Amino acid sequence: MGKHEIRLRRQRMSARGSDRYRNYNAVLKQHGNEKRIKQITRIFTFFLLIAVIIIIFMAITRWEKKQGPKPQSKTNSTSVKLV
Amino acid sequence: MTEDEIRKEEQVIERSKKDPRAFGELYEKYFDRIFNYIYRQTDDEELAGDLCSQTFVNALNNINRYEFRGFPFSAWLYKIAGNEVNKHYRKNKGNKIFSIEELKVRELVEQGTDDLNEELITQLIRYMNELPTDMIQVLELRFFEDKDFKEIAFILDMTESGAKMRTYRALDKLRTNFNLKVKYDG
Repeated sequence: MGKHEIRLRRQRMSARGSDRYRNYNAVLKQHGNEKRIKQITRIFTFFLLIAVIIIIFMAITRWEKKQGPKPQSKTNSTSVKLV
Repeated sequence: MTEDEIRKEEQVIERSKKDPRAFGELYEKYFDRIFNYIYRQTDDEELAGDLCSQTFVNALNNINRYEFRGFPFSAWLYKIAGNEVNKHYRKNKGNKIFSIEELKVRELVEQGTDDLNEELITQLIRYMNELPTDMIQVLELRFFEDKDFKEIAFILDMTESGAKMRTYRALDKLRTNFNLKVKYDG
């Protein structure tokens, strides 16, 4: 619950007073801009998400390669030296 | 609002979802009311103009999400306008200002006797300054915007009984403190 201040106004706001701020074209223009920004943000977020998924996938693949079993030929091989 | 008017407004809203230019009709219809509502809560014409524009931009941005819930479209606009005003005060950390027309105060308070003089009005304003802000908001919508309790509840995000309770309490205090008859149709 905030604080407030009450001011008494002697005169009524005339319709002419508010008419100075009436401009639907400006509202339409702002709406268009905000819509465009929203679309760009959405596309950017989409690509960012795809990029993150690809990076994660690549990291997992690399990690799996590193963790994988070493080639059997090396571990089981025995060398015989013939003199 | 008559059934016919509501249906006509619904058609404009449906058209606005496809073509934002159609929304202009609603803009022209409600601009003054929304502007005055904001002006009464800011006492600053420039600011009221900005917030009013932002209100209509937000309404247009979210028109696809609007669905009829038994209230006139204006209630939705009032709600957005109220949110814009609150956002402004939160951002600027100032005290909320209510700019009330003297004429409206005189209309609100029906004189029991003939002593509604300047001094009493000053006392009344001083007293209203002491009331909680949410109580003033309810009084403003009820008496200065002529909204019914159901609509007030929707605009201020509260229950209908909560809105009624706040109004009763505020008016009771006015009656007992100032011994005045207050216009009220409960």
